[in-house]
Amino acid sequence: MNSIYSSWSNIFLAHIKRDILINFRSLIDLISIIGFMILIIILFPLGLGPVQEKINIVSNAVIWVGLILAIIPSLEKLLQKDYENGWLDQIATSPIPLEIIMLSKGMSYWLIMLIPLILTSPIFAILLNMDLKNIPWLVISISSGSLAISLIGLIGSALILGTKRGNILLPILIIPLMTPILIFGVGVNEAIKINEPPYGNLFLLLAFTLIYLVISPFISALLVRIAIGR
Amino acid sequence: MLYLEGLTIKRGNKIVFSDFNVVIQSGSMTVIKGKNGSGKSTLLRAIAGFTPLEQGTIKKDKKNVFKNYEEWVNNLIFLDTKNGLSKDLTVAENLYAWLTMKGWSTDKKNLTMALKSVGMDKYADLYISQCSEGLKKRAALARLYFSFNNKVDFWILDEPSNELDKTSLALFKQLISIFLKQNGTIIIATHDLTIAESEFKILDLDEIKKQRVL
Repeated sequence: MNSIYSSWSNIFLAHIKRDILINFRSLIDLISIIGFMILIIILFPLGLGPVQEKINIVSNAVIWVGLILAIIPSLEKLLQKDYENGWLDQIATSPIPLEIIMLSKGMSYWLIMLIPLILTSPIFAILLNMDLKNIPWLVISISSGSLAISLIGLIGSALILGTKRGNILLPILIIPLMTPILIFGVGVNEAIKINEPPYGNLFLLLAFTLIYLVISPFISALLVRIAIGR
Repeated sequence: MLYLEGLTIKRGNKIVFSDFNVVIQSGSMTVIKGKNGSGKSTLLRAIAGFTPLEQGTIKKDKKNVFKNYEEWVNNLIFLDTKNGLSKDLTVAENLYAWLTMKGWSTDKKNLTMALKSVGMDKYADLYISQCSEGLKKRAALARLYFSFNNKVDFWILDEPSNELDKTSLALFKQLISIFLKQNGTIIIATHDLTIAESEFKILDLDEIKKQRVL
């Protein structure tokens, strides 16, 4: 049995490597996410006018909402490419469980698309005039929340496989699932702002991340099986 | 031996096959013939385990393949018109990714040999996005080579010869005859009946359906 698990983890890592390689060959998705995020960060202060306090109140929410909106366009392609070129068929006819490949898909998406956003979030926070004491907590909450967001996105991406114009349906289907992540993620920093301990919100956020880490591979594997059986 | 017993397969709400029975001998080649839309690909996808069966079972040597699915896919190579190649990877990288996923050795010498077996060794570092349709097909067919040093005994091929030129068709035929000699079983859907030089069985889906109606 031991050798089976070690070979599964090898395949898991090899598949993450493959996805990272593919995504770095065509950087367009990553550029579009970061570009979109920067646009949101720039547009909000412009819309709010020149009063600094206003920006300070919304800065936390703007970063979270911007993050969710920025990744939506790229989620559609997360599984679509491999579905169209037949790679998912090849995975289905290999001894590795589809669930493990789905987990690797969610993880590689997080590594490629969201780590750059996590790393740049302090810059966005400074641009939005956020208090410096908030920034470490922002990075912590976004690191955890973004993993949950990409795992929810994986479910959404599997749900629209093989459908026409699924990209229009996708945000409507998955943004409601992301609302708890948004609420608790924003809650972490709101607690810091009023000098309260942020742990309640942070632990709930982590709990959601862990729940999605467990259920998302199973749900998306089920959806992929339905899609390739059509 | 592969027994297809009483298969009923639906595509959407339409019944493609009902109560379909066929026995496929080990070490033989079965060519599935039929006009466009007769359900060749659907049948192959059902045998590979993608399309769920409404009714019936598929047994390999008395074992239900879907209850021993891991064992079944371990011994199976499935290739269809979608090649399963990522356009942002090179020919060799695609083959490497496929091998690791199957859990097979990614020995470099074997990889070169596999590419050589379909005449792709010169194109190993070419990106799939730069390949012509014929080259893509050959890159996909290179996988078949690995059935000789892993314990694969079943090929399911959907229109593998469509884009191939004369030289690569000859190489492909060579792969087929080696595999048959090793007691491998091939199910192939194609319009090209010249594909095998050795003996093969024809499964004509149009004929079967006509008999049903009468």
